[in-house]
Amino acid sequence: MLARRLPTILPDLSFNEALEISKIYSIVGLTSKETPLILKRPFRSPHHTITAVSLVGGGKIPKPGEISLAHHGVLFLDELPEFNKNTLEVLRGPLEDGIVTISRLNASITYPCNFMLIASMNPCPCGYYGSKEKECVCKPDQIKKYRNRISGPLLDRIDLHIEVSGVKYTKLQSNRAEEKSEIIKERVNKARKIQIERYKDYGIYSNSELTPKLIEKFCKLNIECKQILEMAFENLGLSARAYSRILKVARTIADLEDSEEIEKRHLAEAIQYRSLDRKYWDYDNKNYNN
Amino acid sequence: MLAITKSIALQGLDGYLISIQVDISAGMPHFEIVGLPDTSVRESKERVKTAIKNSGAEFLSRKIVINLAPANTRKEGSGLDLAIAVGVLAASGYIDNTSNEELFNNTIFVGELSLNGNIEKINGILPICIEAKRLGIKRIILPKENAKEASYILGIEIIAVETLVEVMQYLNKEKEIKSEINRNILDETKQEYSMDFSEVKGQENVKRALEISAAGGHNCILIRNTRLRKNNACKKVTNHITRSKF
Repeated sequence: MLARRLPTILPDLSFNEALEISKIYSIVGLTSKETPLILKRPFRSPHHTITAVSLVGGGKIPKPGEISLAHHGVLFLDELPEFNKNTLEVLRGPLEDGIVTISRLNASITYPCNFMLIASMNPCPCGYYGSKEKECVCKPDQIKKYRNRISGPLLDRIDLHIEVSGVKYTKLQSNRAEEKSEIIKERVNKARKIQIERYKDYGIYSNSELTPKLIEKFCKLNIECKQILEMAFENLGLSARAYSRILKVARTIADLEDSEEIEKRHLAEAIQYRSLDRKYWDYDNKNYNN
Repeated sequence: MLAITKSIALQGLDGYLISIQVDISAGMPHFEIVGLPDTSVRESKERVKTAIKNSGAEFLSRKIVINLAPANTRKEGSGLDLAIAVGVLAASGYIDNTSNEELFNNTIFVGELSLNGNIEKINGILPICIEAKRLGIKRIILPKENAKEASYILGIEIIAVETLVEVMQYLNKEKEIKSEINRNILDETKQEYSMDFSEVKGQENVKRALEISAAGGHNCILIRNTRLRKNNACKKVTNHITRSKF
């Protein structure tokens, strides 16, 4: 699984980030005696039976939950539709704000939870909807029910939608050398360094944390790009939230190329990552005959 | 006699200063903790009593009242044990707190006591040290097991102790304990992973998306219209073939 390999390409932690993570781990007693400072970005992958409270945190005197333990790291939710719907909906606020405030009778406590949500799922119960290799055998209402476990607003907060298709046998057998994690990580690190340098006066570390005001400042588009974006909006029916998320992703793609400005191709790639929900979450039912 | 010690308790990610006031006076033998103690703090009564007895000191059968100020916030956790024990020892005259007031004013005590007088590790030492530093406190006496974690915070003296007896000796200036210093802050960065992206054949689009995701911290959803585990199975088989010599 590729998502499980994600920690191998995550950017290195800065000391301040490490300290922030270690504070949370220190409170729940997850630091080890030998290496008390958390130096790796956390990768949390709770099972889908998790409850809403253990996900966001809680208790008589609130303790941090999985999303806070994934601060500055990855929260990996495998088989997303299998999670309890209420459990997933509690992620809405934290995904947007990067903090979660838990109020109980005795105390009201705010924990940071600036995490990357990586989710994976099948498009339908049988797992072959939209596949080229095999025909899907699910009934339309089955598929609809399965997808509806993930709400539109939650999907809206996910910047990149990507389809994973099967690999041909010949490719599996080929001896072509694949890129090593080390090399990818180098590029990632470089792009992250640019971001840290750019946002050092604003108290944030990455593009994903940009506020609307900062987006205006750092994600300027030229006329050509603006036209493309306008076209995409009309054709894809995107939301206002999608707009800012597309710009953030385009900014990251430009950073990966060390480009000062967002160019046409960066924006086009960012939009392309947004188009999948139209294919799978087509609520008008027109795409259900595979 | 009255003795006051300081400690830090946690509320969420932030620490806050607690002053522990111990008063021993004549009267019916009685031991009471006031100031909204949680169950774990109230239970520290028994730990403190037994640990003092097992450290060679006498637990006076007098009227002992302990107040945890500020008295209107709820205290939880076992980290206050040490501060309470030191307060009781100072009030009973085993620790000299009149001549070295400066020492008491600038010291934070944290640690859980076990019945034999050992000091056990507690959770949340990092936020405690950060708060102590912010308050301008000079030194912090804490369990040895927490010493390394605390030493990441520079500019504060970290006194690591193992037993209550050691604390008594230190405060009475019979024994010197050197401050814990951390020399290698980020030298453990070398990370080893058992997996690598190069093990996955093809899937360039997924790799690219994950790269962007990692670079900017973006959320990402993978929709698999294939049974991925099949690939892994294939890989496992080929692994198996090449290793079949064994």
